[in-house]
Amino acid sequence: MNFRVVEELISSLDMSMGSGFSNDNQNSLSEWDSCLLKIGKYRDKYAFKSLYEHFTPRLKSFLLRIGSDESAAEEICQETMIMVWRRAETYNPESAGASTWIFTIARNKRIDKLRKDSRPLPNFNDPLFYQKPIDKSDDILQRTEEEKKIKNVLKNLPQEQAKLILSAYYDDKSHRKIAEETNLPLGTVKSRIRLAINRLRTQLEDF
Amino acid sequence: MNKQNTLTLVETLLIDYANGTLPLALEVLVETHISMNPASAKEIRMLLQLGGALLENSEPISLSEGSFEKLMAEIESGFDNDQEIYTNVSNDNNLLPFPLRNYVQDISRPKNWKRIGIGLSEQTINFGDNFGSTKLYKIAPGYSVPSHSHDGNEVTLVLSGGFTDEYGTYGPGDISIQETGAVHKPVADEDGECIVLAVNEGSIVLTGPVGRLLNMLIK
Repeated sequence: MNFRVVEELISSLDMSMGSGFSNDNQNSLSEWDSCLLKIGKYRDKYAFKSLYEHFTPRLKSFLLRIGSDESAAEEICQETMIMVWRRAETYNPESAGASTWIFTIARNKRIDKLRKDSRPLPNFNDPLFYQKPIDKSDDILQRTEEEKKIKNVLKNLPQEQAKLILSAYYDDKSHRKIAEETNLPLGTVKSRIRLAINRLRTQLEDF
Repeated sequence: MNKQNTLTLVETLLIDYANGTLPLALEVLVETHISMNPASAKEIRMLLQLGGALLENSEPISLSEGSFEKLMAEIESGFDNDQEIYTNVSNDNNLLPFPLRNYVQDISRPKNWKRIGIGLSEQTINFGDNFGSTKLYKIAPGYSVPSHSHDGNEVTLVLSGGFTDEYGTYGPGDISIQETGAVHKPVADEDGECIVLAVNEGSIVLTGPVGRLLNMLIK
């Protein structure tokens, strides 16, 4: 798919660290957003090392929880981080925080693993990467607010709903396993997940 | 299928997109849909942010020893040469939404369409896997696709123009879902040609008298 276009779109936003963002915006970036920008701009290996040390153990754990086995999880971690290194200069803090960006790359890497005929290119056409702002006020502040809200709502979820939300990210095999274990049709399992997501959306709106 | 059920299935499609379990044809269909539908784009954005938050909240588990050094060695060996990731999108199909362009033969050339009925042509899209069948259909204004049922679920996305069937009216960016066994007869709006992307898990069975004849021709 088309990386040139993606990059043009992204670079048409002002990516420079110095002048591009107002102080307000700079302040709302997380430590890891800034770290990622540094890697992109200066190819800073120390910054990359701290990013790696922060994210890969979390990513591994996340992948294990959603159905990958140990060796696949480690492999996806490594492939994801290579991609992070390669693509850091295209990271756009207006569209995603570091953890969302890394999640999306890992998602693509996992797909490549699961698909026999893998998509030739990692999918940087995810809307987070190329989409024009949903409305004009869309900017770093809005994005960081959205992500903060999600984190806060997640923190306060009842355990049952939290489990269902996590299972939205399970692979196909794990969904089938739940269906078997609970004696429910796969469609019902998916419906429950969808309802939990819908509830989360309402909680986000009310927050 | 009624609008409510369709809505429900679209929500499920979006979740499956976010977790990366869709076959390629449906993944591309959903990407195309979200490039045309801001509400679904917003939903995907939320789902990916949610994935990011779940990742961030995960209890760290160490990787095997020396993983970082191994990775840096790989990067420094130049193996991370990323030339292959620069592919140019085809200049053809400028009228199609961007996620779909590279998969489709230039739709402005008649030779890339196969006429399968009066006012109806198709282009088969090959995603290189064995999943169902994916087609573009072009329906002339006011013409219809012969009444047909489905021996697998079918997801249809309107790319341009619009159509109406027994279940509703659909415009650009709208998704219509036909479950196995459902019968419908889509009619294109009078005011323009309608182009849709249809992903079928199985194959389509034409049910009308003309349709049955067409079944033989299509095979």
